[in-house]
Amino acid sequence: MNVAVSKGGRRTLWGLFGFLVVFLYAPIVILIMFSVNDRTLVSFPWQGFTLRWYRTFMQNSALLLALRTSAMIATVTAIVTVALAIPASVLFVRRRFFGKPFVSALVLSPLVIPLVVFGIALLILFNTLAVPLSPWTVAVGHIVIALPFAVLTLVPRLERIPAYLEEASRDLGASAMTAFRSITLPLMTPAIVSSFLISFVISFDEVVIASFIAGDEPTFPLYLFSQLRLPSRLPQVIAVAVVVMLASGILVVASEVWRRIANHRLERQIALVEGEEAIA
Amino acid sequence: MSDLRDSAITLDGVRKSFGRVEAVRGISLDVYESEFLTLLGPSGCGKTTTMRMIAGFEEPDEGQIYLRGRDVVGDPPNRRAVNMVFQHYALFPHMNVEDNVAYGLKLRKVAKEERKRLVGEMLEIVRLSGMQRRSPSQLSGGQQQRVALARALVNRPAALLLDEPLGALDVKLRKQMQLELKRIQNELGTTFVYVTHDQEEALSMSDRIAVMNDGLIEQLGTPREIYEHPVTPFVADFVGVLNALEIRVDEVGDLTATMRIGDGERVVVPVPTGATTGQTLMAAVRPERVRIRRAAEAATSGSGSAVQGTVALIVYLGTLTQFHVDTSLGARLVAHRLSDDSATAVREGDRVVLSWDEEDAAVLSDA
Repeated sequence: MNVAVSKGGRRTLWGLFGFLVVFLYAPIVILIMFSVNDRTLVSFPWQGFTLRWYRTFMQNSALLLALRTSAMIATVTAIVTVALAIPASVLFVRRRFFGKPFVSALVLSPLVIPLVVFGIALLILFNTLAVPLSPWTVAVGHIVIALPFAVLTLVPRLERIPAYLEEASRDLGASAMTAFRSITLPLMTPAIVSSFLISFVISFDEVVIASFIAGDEPTFPLYLFSQLRLPSRLPQVIAVAVVVMLASGILVVASEVWRRIANHRLERQIALVEGEEAIA
Repeated sequence: MSDLRDSAITLDGVRKSFGRVEAVRGISLDVYESEFLTLLGPSGCGKTTTMRMIAGFEEPDEGQIYLRGRDVVGDPPNRRAVNMVFQHYALFPHMNVEDNVAYGLKLRKVAKEERKRLVGEMLEIVRLSGMQRRSPSQLSGGQQQRVALARALVNRPAALLLDEPLGALDVKLRKQMQLELKRIQNELGTTFVYVTHDQEEALSMSDRIAVMNDGLIEQLGTPREIYEHPVTPFVADFVGVLNALEIRVDEVGDLTATMRIGDGERVVVPVPTGATTGQTLMAAVRPERVRIRRAAEAATSGSGSAVQGTVALIVYLGTLTQFHVDTSLGARLVAHRLSDDSATAVREGDRVVLSWDEEDAAVLSDA
C-alpha cells in the first residue's frame, strides 16, 4: 500500500504539512499584523489599526533611494544574467566541446562557494584593479551568483526542444542565427522569463556580497539591516518589507502560472508526435 | 549511366566517418530530374547519413556532391536548393499551418500576397485547404505529414529529401500516404530522394532503388530488377523472403548451368557469364515463383527446375499460403501460392514436387 494513502501515512503527511505552514507563514502573518499595529514597540498588546508606518516609509527618502538602487541593480543583473545564460545553456545542451564538464562546473560553482568568501574575494579583486565600489560592482557580483540559477532554469527547457526543429529551419533557408531567433528562442520564452525573474529576485534579496562591495550607496536589504539598530524605525521597516513581499509574491505567482500554461502547451505538441511513434 | 538525362543530384565517391565508424564508404550515384529514387537499407547502412550530406547537415570526408551540376560541398544547408521532410515532421509548434508553410518563402523575401497564394496552392495539392489557421498540435499525424511536405515543396526545391517520413504513421495511413506521395510527385514533377528500411514501401513507390548495406550501394536498379534479379545475397534477402540454393554444376549448357539430383530432379539456372563443370554457385528463387504439386500428380519432365520434398509446415497468410518444404537438395524451400489455388489441397507431410522456370532463378555474386 502506498505510504501516502495509508492511514498512518496520511496523518504523518498532514502533520508535516501543518508544521510547514505554521513555520513558513506564521512569521509573515505576524509581520503583516505588526505593520499595521499602532505602537512603536514591536510587541503585543495590540494597540489598534494604523497606516502610519506605510506613510512614514513613503516619506523616507533614504529608504526610497535604497529601493531604487536595488531595483536598478536587480534589473541590470537580470538582463545581463539572462543574456549570458542563453548562449551558455545552448552550449551545454547542443554542443560537444573539449572541457565541457570543466566549463559547466565553473559556471555552476557559485552555488557552492560561501557568499562571505566570494564577497571578500570580490572586494580584494576590485581593490586590486582599482575599480571604485558602486552599484555596478554589486551587479557584477550578483550576475555571478545568479548565473547558475538562470542556466539551470533554461537547460531543462532547451532539452525538451528537439534539435531537428532548428535543422528544419536551416533546411528551409535560415542562417544559424535566424534559425535560433525564429524557432528556438520563442520556444524558450517561458524559461527565459522565469530565469529573468529568478535572477532579479536573487539580486534584490542579496545582502552578504552587497555588504562588501556596495560602496556608499546601500542596497535595499543593506538599508533594512542598518535600520534594525534603531528600534523606532522598526515598524516602518516592517511595513516596507510587507509591501516588497506582496509585490514579489504576486510577480512570482503570476509568472509561475503563465510558465505552466506555456509549458503545458509545448509538452502537448511534443507528446502528440511521440505518441504516434509509440504506435508505429 | 548518366548523360542521357539531366542529373538533379550527383554523388561522386562520397565517404563519411564518425570517429572510427565508417558510415558511408564510397558512394557514387546519379539522381535524375523528376525521378523517385529510394535509398533502401537496414538501420546503420548509411542511408540517412547520405541524405544528410546531400542536405548539408553533414559534410563528406571525401568525394563531391553536385546539385544540378553545381558542387555544393561546404555550403551550409540554407544555401542548398534541396528541402527535407524530417522523420518527425519537425513542424514549428509555435506557428500555425500557414506560417509553417510560408517559412521558407518569407526567408526568400517573397511578398506577402504572393506568399499567401503559393501557400494556398500548395495546401490544395496536399489536400489541406482551409487548414491555414490550425496549429500543428490540432492536426493528426497524417495531416502533420502533409504540412511538412507542403512546407518543403512550396520552395520548389531541386530535389525533395524524405527521411523515413511514414515511419510514425500506422499501417493503414502509411499505405494511403504512399499513394499520396506518388501522386504529388507526379503532379509536381519534383525529384524525390526517399530513405526507408521498408522494402515494400521502396518497391511500391520508386522509379529506382539503391539498396545500401554497410555504407555501400549493393545494387541500383528498378524495383523489378531489384526484386527479381538481386545481384547479391544481401539484396535478395533484404528485398524479400528468398530461397537460397547452393548448386554444384554438373552440366553447362547454352547460358545455363544444371545440377542433376536424380530421377528427373534438377536445378537449372541462367549463367549469362558462363560457368564450369564442378563449380559451386549460389542461386536464389522467389517463393512466389515456386510451383507446388503433389508428387503423385506431378510430371517431372519438361524444362526448368524440379525438386522433390516433404511438406514440413503450411502457414496461412490470407491471400497467400506459404509452404515450407524439406527437399532432396538438403535445403528447406518456401513456396507461396494463392490461397484459392488448387495447390491448397496439399497437406503437411505430403510428398511434393517443387518446380520453377529457368529464368526465375538468379545466380548471386558474393558481393
